[in-house]
Amino acid sequence: MSEEATIQIEGLTKHYGSVKALVGLDLEIAAGEIFGFLGPNGAGKTTCIRTIMDEIRATAGKATILGLDSHDSSVELRRDIGYLPGDLAMYPSLTGRDTITYFANLRGGVEWDYVEKLAERLDADLSKKVGDLSSGNRQKVGLIQAFMNHPKVIIMDEPSSGLDPLVQREIQKMMREVAATGTTIFLSSHTLSEVQRVADRVGIIRHGLLVAVETVANLRSKAMRRVEFELDKSPDASIFAAVAGVRDVLVENHDVSMDFDGDMGALLQTADKNYTIVDISTHEADLEEIFLTYYRDEEATS
Amino acid sequence: MLANIFFKTTLDRWKGWTIAISSLMLMFLFGMAVYRDIDLSIYQELPEAYLSLLGLAENIDVGGLAIGAILGFYGAITLAAMAISMGAASIAGEERDGTMGLLLGNPKSRTQVLAAKTASMWVIITIGTLVIWGLVYPISSMLGVEISGLDVTALMLHMYALVLFHGFLAVAIGAWTGSKGSASGITAGVLVVSFFAVGFLPMLEGYEDVAKAFPWYYFNSSNPVLNGIEWGHVAALLGGTVAFAVAALVGVNRRDLKSQSVAVTLIDRLRANRLTQKVTEKLAGSARVSSIALKTATEHQGVFIIISIAMFAMMGLMLGPMYGALPPEAVNAFRDFPAELLALFGGGDLSTPEGWYQIETFGMMAPAAVMIVAIAVGAKALAGEEARRTMGLLLANPISRTRVLLEKTGTMVLFSIAIGIATWAGVSLGSAVGSLDMSVGNIAATTLLSTLVGLTFGSLALLLSAATGRTRVAIFGAVGAGIVAHVLNSLATINEDLAGVAQISPFYYYLNTDPLMTGMDWGNGAILLGISVVLIGLAVVMFQRRDLRQSG
Repeated sequence: MSEEATIQIEGLTKHYGSVKALVGLDLEIAAGEIFGFLGPNGAGKTTCIRTIMDEIRATAGKATILGLDSHDSSVELRRDIGYLPGDLAMYPSLTGRDTITYFANLRGGVEWDYVEKLAERLDADLSKKVGDLSSGNRQKVGLIQAFMNHPKVIIMDEPSSGLDPLVQREIQKMMREVAATGTTIFLSSHTLSEVQRVADRVGIIRHGLLVAVETVANLRSKAMRRVEFELDKSPDASIFAAVAGVRDVLVENHDVSMDFDGDMGALLQTADKNYTIVDISTHEADLEEIFLTYYRDEEATS
Repeated sequence: MLANIFFKTTLDRWKGWTIAISSLMLMFLFGMAVYRDIDLSIYQELPEAYLSLLGLAENIDVGGLAIGAILGFYGAITLAAMAISMGAASIAGEERDGTMGLLLGNPKSRTQVLAAKTASMWVIITIGTLVIWGLVYPISSMLGVEISGLDVTALMLHMYALVLFHGFLAVAIGAWTGSKGSASGITAGVLVVSFFAVGFLPMLEGYEDVAKAFPWYYFNSSNPVLNGIEWGHVAALLGGTVAFAVAALVGVNRRDLKSQSVAVTLIDRLRANRLTQKVTEKLAGSARVSSIALKTATEHQGVFIIISIAMFAMMGLMLGPMYGALPPEAVNAFRDFPAELLALFGGGDLSTPEGWYQIETFGMMAPAAVMIVAIAVGAKALAGEEARRTMGLLLANPISRTRVLLEKTGTMVLFSIAIGIATWAGVSLGSAVGSLDMSVGNIAATTLLSTLVGLTFGSLALLLSAATGRTRVAIFGAVGAGIVAHVLNSLATINEDLAGVAQISPFYYYLNTDPLMTGMDWGNGAILLGISVVLIGLAVVMFQRRDLRQSG
């Protein structure tokens, strides 16, 4: 994978005095991949992004994007990168259109048709001054400028911050569209549902350390399900507890619920053989729970 | 909670005040030491009006000169400026930063917030004045200068009233308009205009009483350091202060608070109007965002335009005919001035039009005008973008840090040159209108040198901005260096022992060859340009190396 990796981060470390904001981060992201960077506030997501954007300089390690060193070739590299900083600030006295024009001039031009199309999709008002926009509407202008040059790599720090769910979904759609054409997307988020919906792989970062990197599918398959049966009579807990993969059986009147990560067919057979099933419900543990599990494990071992 | 607002405001400000007062007292110490060693008999011959402009008594002695010139002028201006900055920030500043809503989210009324903010300002002004008052005596006795015949307390009380007056005026304007820019701009304008008005109006027959309309009149026209407290004048200033406090109270309670927002400018209105849309769209829209340099220029156009006009009209054009209108006694009196003394005010001989312009325009105002704009652009160029958190977005484009820095430097240089041209055109026209027959080429040489002097301090601001990313450090550092360099050069001209030291001041390379009379000194020009080039080169290196700041 390392040969065709679009973003390759090796041992990236950033210390602020004695504070270790980022510790030996290794990561590879392939072309056309959407990578979600997850972690609570202050975990080091923004530090990592600002380092690979050459805003701040690594204490050790390096990042290579599209085969170029993120520090040595930063100017050349930025031609192919669309970037949305976290906690976005822009020039308050410029309108959205002025802002886009400014950056377009610095980049040597932009396809206005595409800008208009993006603005339409996001329902962005480019005629108002940025300083008079709400934070969500300001974010839209930032998103447009990140996408407008058809970059090969898009790096976004908390892209859906301030956006309503409809626009969030539109952004996710846009991400998937450009990823399908080969654009690599690196986004950070603490909204797990967002990453779950859009990302191919997820990296979990905490205290500057990359705790885990998993595909979203893999994370889910690892996960427990919560299964609940409503039966015709009060069941015997031991019958269910005997099925492989069942844990924490809880009986309440005619209801029985359990955590389960085994063969669903076997469990259904057991229930059907002993009782009449009135109702059945099962839900996947979402990324949030998985996330918390990672953290709990980490805390337990540390 | 209120105590919190009070303490937070006080803590935010005490450093600035400490630095300002320390520099002031150092200047006082240095000035008094110099005055002690020179022959002061020359001062006896100064015309009264000139002495009063400088806040000096007629039968002046060392102590009176140091206290009058340094505390009565620099001290009053510095403290008033600090108070204006604090007053303007108190209500309008919080609104501009968008923090007012948050502050008032707490169960406190607007009146209470205003009270806490102004109480903090009042306490700081009081302590500041007391510190200065308390330091005058030990400094004088340390230098062995007799000040027992002087009423320092009276001067301090007058100054205290003047400073409170301006601070509260700024609070009131901010409270009524919610615009920090208006609050500090208008009040600073009042301060400067009233200083000059009170200095000059008494010289013009029939206009003596007009001076009474200006606050500075109530500060030093009674010469408190010699004549003691003039209670009527102090009462007038304090009365104004109370009136402004009441006005602020009414103002802040009656209007809608602004959220963090952007003012609607004339250009915006023109852009919205169908008739003017096309032209202004080109000017305000596409043109101003066509490059970093132009965008930077539009951000600083306000102060640039005001200063250009002031230099052209007031410091250039108007002074030509005024020279002809000066009473002959004044000109005669100045004819016998010792050159050393005039050097303190930029030098020049009032009996010639060149000397008149040198004292009025070129000695201090011309380099100061360039300095103000160049330092503003230089200090905000990089640190300003970082403070507003737009640097990350700007540098997301495929442009190097060096290019950003150099484009912003370009704006600084162009603005400086434009102010130089405005000054040159104003003085040349003034000379023509007043039939003064000054050499246009020599005027050009002098403005070129004054522009280069101003640029050295702008470049210093740029370097500090590039190295630290902090606007305040850049502004205070460059302005402080400018003041020290100017005082050093002025005082060194009087005291020959310091002549060698003066050569480290850029001002030394400005007027030492008397360019208004003798024309351009290319060697001096090259030295000044060299200083700027070195500073900008260092700025490029420093900016390349460091981490960008994420916030102010």
